[in-house]
Amino acid sequence: MGYDSTMSNTTDDLSHGIDKQHLASPIKNLVDKYQLVPEFLKVRGLVKQHLDSFNYFVKTDIKKIVRANQEIRSILDPNIYLRYRDVHIGEPSMIFDAVTEKLCPQKCRLSDLTYAAPIYVTIDYTTGSHGQTSVSTKKNVVIGRMPIMLRSSCCVLYGKDEDELARLGECPLDPGGYFVIKGTEKVILIQEQLSKNRIIIDTDKKGCVQASVTSSTEKTKSKTVIKMEKEKIYLELNMFKTKVPIMVVMKAMGMESDQEVVQMLGRDPRFSSLLLPSIEECADLKLYTQHQALEFLESDKMLKMPLYSTGPVEKGARALSILRDIFLANVPVHHHNFRKKCIYVAVMMRRMMEAILNKDAMDDKDYVGNKRLELSGQLLSLLFEDLFKTMNDEARKSVDTLLARPSRSSRLDISQYIVKDSITVGLERTLSTGNWDVKRFRMHRKGMTQVVARLSYIGSLGHMTKISPQFEKSRKVSGPRALQPSQFGMLCPCDTPEGEACGLVKNLALMTHVTTDEDERPIMSLCYCLGVEDLEQLSAEELHMPTSYLITLNGLILGKHKSPQRFAIAMRKLRRAGKIGEFVSIFVNEKQRCVYIASDGGRVCRPLVIADKGISRIKEHHMRELRDGVRDFDSFLKDGLIEYLDVNEENNTLIALYEKEATPETTHIEIEPFTILGVCAGLIPYPHHNQSPRNTYQCAMGKQAMGNIAYNQLNRMDGLLYLLVYPQRPLLTTRTIELVGYDKLGAGQNATVAVMSYSGYDIEDAIVMNKSSLDRGFGRCIVMKKYSAVCQKYENGTSDRIIKPQRQGYEADRMQILDNDGIAAPGEIIRPHDIYINKESPTVTRTPITSPMGLPDSAYKPNRQTYKGPEGETAVVDRVALYSDKNNNLSIKFMIRHTRRPELGDKFSSRHGQKGVCGTIVQQEDFPFSERGICPDLIMNPHGFPSRMTVGKMIELLGGKAGVSCGRFHYGSAFGEPSGHADTVDAISETLVKHGFSYSGKDFIYSGITGMPLQAYIFMGPIYYQKLKHMVLDKMHARGSGPRVMMTRQPTEGRSRNGGLRVGEMERDCLIAYGASMLIYERLMVSSDPFEVQVCRKCGLLGYYNHKLKTGICSMCKNGENISTMKLPYACKLLFQELQSMNIVPRLKLAEA
Amino acid sequence: MEGASYQRFPRVKIREVKDDYMKFELRDTDASIANALRRIMIAEVPTIAIDLVEIEVNSSVLNDEFISHRLGLIPLTSERAMSMRFSRDCDACDGDGQCEYCSVEFYLRVKCLSDQTLDVTSKDLLSSDHTVVPVDYSDASSGFDNSTNKGIIIVKLRRGQELRLRAIARKGIGKDHAKWSPAATVTFMYEPEIYINEDMMETLSLEEKKELVESSPTKVFDIDPENKQVIVVDPEAYTYDDEVLKKAEAMGKPGLVEIHAKEDSFIFTVETTGAVKASQLVLNAIDVLKQKLDAVRLSDDTVEADDQFGELGAHMRGG
Repeated sequence: MGYDSTMSNTTDDLSHGIDKQHLASPIKNLVDKYQLVPEFLKVRGLVKQHLDSFNYFVKTDIKKIVRANQEIRSILDPNIYLRYRDVHIGEPSMIFDAVTEKLCPQKCRLSDLTYAAPIYVTIDYTTGSHGQTSVSTKKNVVIGRMPIMLRSSCCVLYGKDEDELARLGECPLDPGGYFVIKGTEKVILIQEQLSKNRIIIDTDKKGCVQASVTSSTEKTKSKTVIKMEKEKIYLELNMFKTKVPIMVVMKAMGMESDQEVVQMLGRDPRFSSLLLPSIEECADLKLYTQHQALEFLESDKMLKMPLYSTGPVEKGARALSILRDIFLANVPVHHHNFRKKCIYVAVMMRRMMEAILNKDAMDDKDYVGNKRLELSGQLLSLLFEDLFKTMNDEARKSVDTLLARPSRSSRLDISQYIVKDSITVGLERTLSTGNWDVKRFRMHRKGMTQVVARLSYIGSLGHMTKISPQFEKSRKVSGPRALQPSQFGMLCPCDTPEGEACGLVKNLALMTHVTTDEDERPIMSLCYCLGVEDLEQLSAEELHMPTSYLITLNGLILGKHKSPQRFAIAMRKLRRAGKIGEFVSIFVNEKQRCVYIASDGGRVCRPLVIADKGISRIKEHHMRELRDGVRDFDSFLKDGLIEYLDVNEENNTLIALYEKEATPETTHIEIEPFTILGVCAGLIPYPHHNQSPRNTYQCAMGKQAMGNIAYNQLNRMDGLLYLLVYPQRPLLTTRTIELVGYDKLGAGQNATVAVMSYSGYDIEDAIVMNKSSLDRGFGRCIVMKKYSAVCQKYENGTSDRIIKPQRQGYEADRMQILDNDGIAAPGEIIRPHDIYINKESPTVTRTPITSPMGLPDSAYKPNRQTYKGPEGETAVVDRVALYSDKNNNLSIKFMIRHTRRPELGDKFSSRHGQKGVCGTIVQQEDFPFSERGICPDLIMNPHGFPSRMTVGKMIELLGGKAGVSCGRFHYGSAFGEPSGHADTVDAISETLVKHGFSYSGKDFIYSGITGMPLQAYIFMGPIYYQKLKHMVLDKMHARGSGPRVMMTRQPTEGRSRNGGLRVGEMERDCLIAYGASMLIYERLMVSSDPFEVQVCRKCGLLGYYNHKLKTGICSMCKNGENISTMKLPYACKLLFQELQSMNIVPRLKLAEA
Repeated sequence: MEGASYQRFPRVKIREVKDDYMKFELRDTDASIANALRRIMIAEVPTIAIDLVEIEVNSSVLNDEFISHRLGLIPLTSERAMSMRFSRDCDACDGDGQCEYCSVEFYLRVKCLSDQTLDVTSKDLLSSDHTVVPVDYSDASSGFDNSTNKGIIIVKLRRGQELRLRAIARKGIGKDHAKWSPAATVTFMYEPEIYINEDMMETLSLEEKKELVESSPTKVFDIDPENKQVIVVDPEAYTYDDEVLKKAEAMGKPGLVEIHAKEDSFIFTVETTGAVKASQLVLNAIDVLKQKLDAVRLSDDTVEADDQFGELGAHMRGG
């Protein structure tokens, strides 16, 4: 690439002689590491987190699950079994009419299929029963179909180049990372959670300090809380009815000596004094031995009754098994040796006490290091595990019921009982609804999947990096919403929605990686090799020696180490050498005197350049090798030049922004500062010059901008598609724009903007547009909408039919666009109320049809579908696609295209959160012009600037102006000035002056109306403008008389139902205050739901009008003597009747008016 | 009309004329006339442009409206436009605007048969009238190689794609749609009058003089290589940016340079799309302006004038 050659090679600049700025700057001997970013994204892609997670699931996790549940064994006859030996996922395919056909994603999108691959297993199983069994093996048995993530290792798109992707109808810029379920693209949002298996110290609602651990192992998931209440320490576990005194628990685990417990907490007398009340309580209960403690725990007032009783068991065994399996489930118990668990409890207590003594030791729940991101792989694995277990249980049950039957004829083949539908359907349904209802793991979460936003390319990219929160959105706390310092570099500080989800929904930054699980056994043994003293061998006293640190691996205490720093350095060296996984983090916590090693999945981490004593390990020759293509990002990792750090390990480092700022203490150097922003915020030029909420606004708006969606946009059949006719690449680009491909799929146009007031139609952020620019195609867009029709088959064997259109008669006019096959032809101009498919349905669909000849024409009723678009606008039938759906019905999709030019009220925005509607459209000759003949496309009011403080927009204008005059794209990457990824205002001004403009970007302008010069110089130049999807045509609405709601007879609500405009309560209040009684009467009665009723003056109830007798009759009094006629709103009459129906009698008392 | 006559006799001095470019001075008149001329050139000089497209076959990647829009924006040679009829007031055809007096027919029939991408350009448009054809930019003076210059690209076709259509071009004005505007750029500037206070300039050192000369973003001043005097080399390069004045003020010499805009002389720059020649555009604009004035004068003392102009009518009659 050209830009970095100018950076590193100063001689180049001399020959160009353009950039004086570079000449003036000191000669750069520091290495330009920018090239690593594209290299990183090349190996990683933009949605690597999803792909990695899914690949891990498909390659490793699914095997683990199957191995853990490998056997189905009949309870009645233990000789009958089925054992899974191996599992793998095949190629995405589908069986059509008994022929297996390979699938590709585009085909699934177009014909509403699920992009899924069969799950193959190898099984050993028995046939026969009652002692005469034989074992056989079957290979490649399909147990279900797994939806496949696009671009994952199972996908057909994996490893394909641009040409091959194009042949498969796929856009090469599409990142993948989503699923295609029944034709719709679904993405599983990244879920944010508190980390599992870690001790977290916080306070409960009452303000009591507590230490809690959410344990999660393959077998069990539980939450253990130890809390200090009224100076005593208790355990809370939902297997026990009430809180349990902690000393009882310790005793029950065999820690009978109180002294040892005190020793375990450490020498500090403050700790022992805090524990004293708890010891006393235990003594008061007269519990001294393990046996007594277990009996106490098993008593009815403590233990919850088990859901199923498995007969009488040994006394104390149940309590013991709870303590073993559920209490702190993440700490394993081998051979009834509870020592590790006791130590774990002691450590929990110690940390809790530390927090009581010193509030600083409290954990921050919002700290990113305490969070884990749950990705699609993990979520799918939970789901799969549940479905797989259910399927196995079902199989066992059906085998058992069969065995229980007295007489059987056929040989029992257990392999017949694994039904593949349950997994397929379960996965498909969960993915398409997004509701994870996994009862086994007590998981009921809604809205986990979303349809991929395909409004703009950047919108879909942003959707893949979105992180949905763990909390419900209604909580009115500021903590989780605030920007966390630990988010730096991991999560984008700008990209968050406004409103209720503000700060809770986050987005990943550009270089963030989310880890997957890694085997901890090798790390564990390595730790012991590096001098970690095993916990088992330690006495209670030794545990908290002031000279040693505890070593913790994934929340499990391994032991202690005498020189933690040396240990950490050794571990890190091993990691850099590639001996342990690159994502393992080693974090020395001096405050807690602990070394935390983490290899679990869901941690966020990012790459950083390693520095030795402040000197970067990456040298110029490394970068040269990278440019020459002999090196890639992975080799940087392998050679220990770069490493991934997670949030916790970052605390042990000193990271310099640039090499020149490094001090001898510096351990790492940032690769590029602009990578702290995400994909959406990366589009903003000079974001570091803007007021921060403006960048946030732009992040939300960039997703609504029209432009190009994908290279295959015209072959897709999305429900609604907004395209720009002439999308452009921004004149002022950023590095992120180039990296994510926004320059190839832009969503906006470079408009020449004059910042001035004009005509008064530009107040409140409205913009004035040049009619000639609109004529020439500025802001012109294509809106495509999908209409579909199905030729339904009915249960009695009949089906819908599509028939030839009528060419004569009164409906012929509406059928003009139909071909002879009764389906609208592509390219035809379609008007509102035109029929686009001439379909007929049989009148009888239930009862079986007797006539063998098929139905006569009279048995069909027309079931035409008409196009309902904006009145007065004509659209065009763009494409018609015929396919057969899942039930083999003929289905037809129509894409209807409408080209629109901007009109009054259409919404536009620049890339700086400055949105505005088009206020007026003015002829070009009335527009101001400069003596060069430059005439703006757009006029923006200067009042938009002072309060918004979007200085970035001004610099964009300057840079864009310099860009068009010198013919080079200018850059405005975030924080890019020092590293040359953003042009400085000085350099831009110089370019402007060189091309005869004022350095300030202001021009001398003449009024187009009078021909006189304007009083002021006008700030004018190109700014990239986005057209947003909100258009007047889709929103404008008015109605005179129209449809009414049946029940209340009031006008309908909403534009889609052609509803009325409501005079609401507040409007009514105004009218009352004003005293406009007749207006109120008209609006609330005459124009709404007037109704004439017959009221009985005697009983005050409503009667009815007898049309034969032509009088009103009161049904209560059974006569028509005292009837008066009056008008009231129909809703009022309805209210009376409803009240009557619940035995309340409303009576009207009439008086002469 | 009574009272003093304010009649003036504007002069035009042509500086430079090319086919699509013209620069001239307009003197002894005021901004209203200059601006009227500019506005008319942009919006009211008629040209011919494609207005109606009937698409027979379109299997290209661009949709029908897209191609129609692009066709409309292709400039057509419009020398005939002044004498042509607007299709809306053409008697020969009853308003459908398809007769020879008010319209020109075009055909486009292209199909790509090779593996190479085929560019469909304005050269592929076949006109029914040899005087109305897409503008040919391949003029020798432009410096482009004629063999590569293929006209305005409409769409690109790949193998098997086809485009067949009939297009009707009509006369129109830029006010209705920018495609009928013959002007690419029409602009004027006030002629600046630059006065250098020689006495004060004498007090400046050469360095200061250089600084002053440099302060203007455009090359207005220079230093005479012989007598080291600041001279005005190109007053018209001055963009009224006031930079020199500010510089002079900053040097503590206000009044060192004085610049005024001459209220009554304008320098016009006219660039056309190629639909009409630049010189013709100016003439046509003057014609249109005359017609408009005639329309006002003809309705001078008629009753309609009162309807049309209201109080203004009376004013025009000198009341």
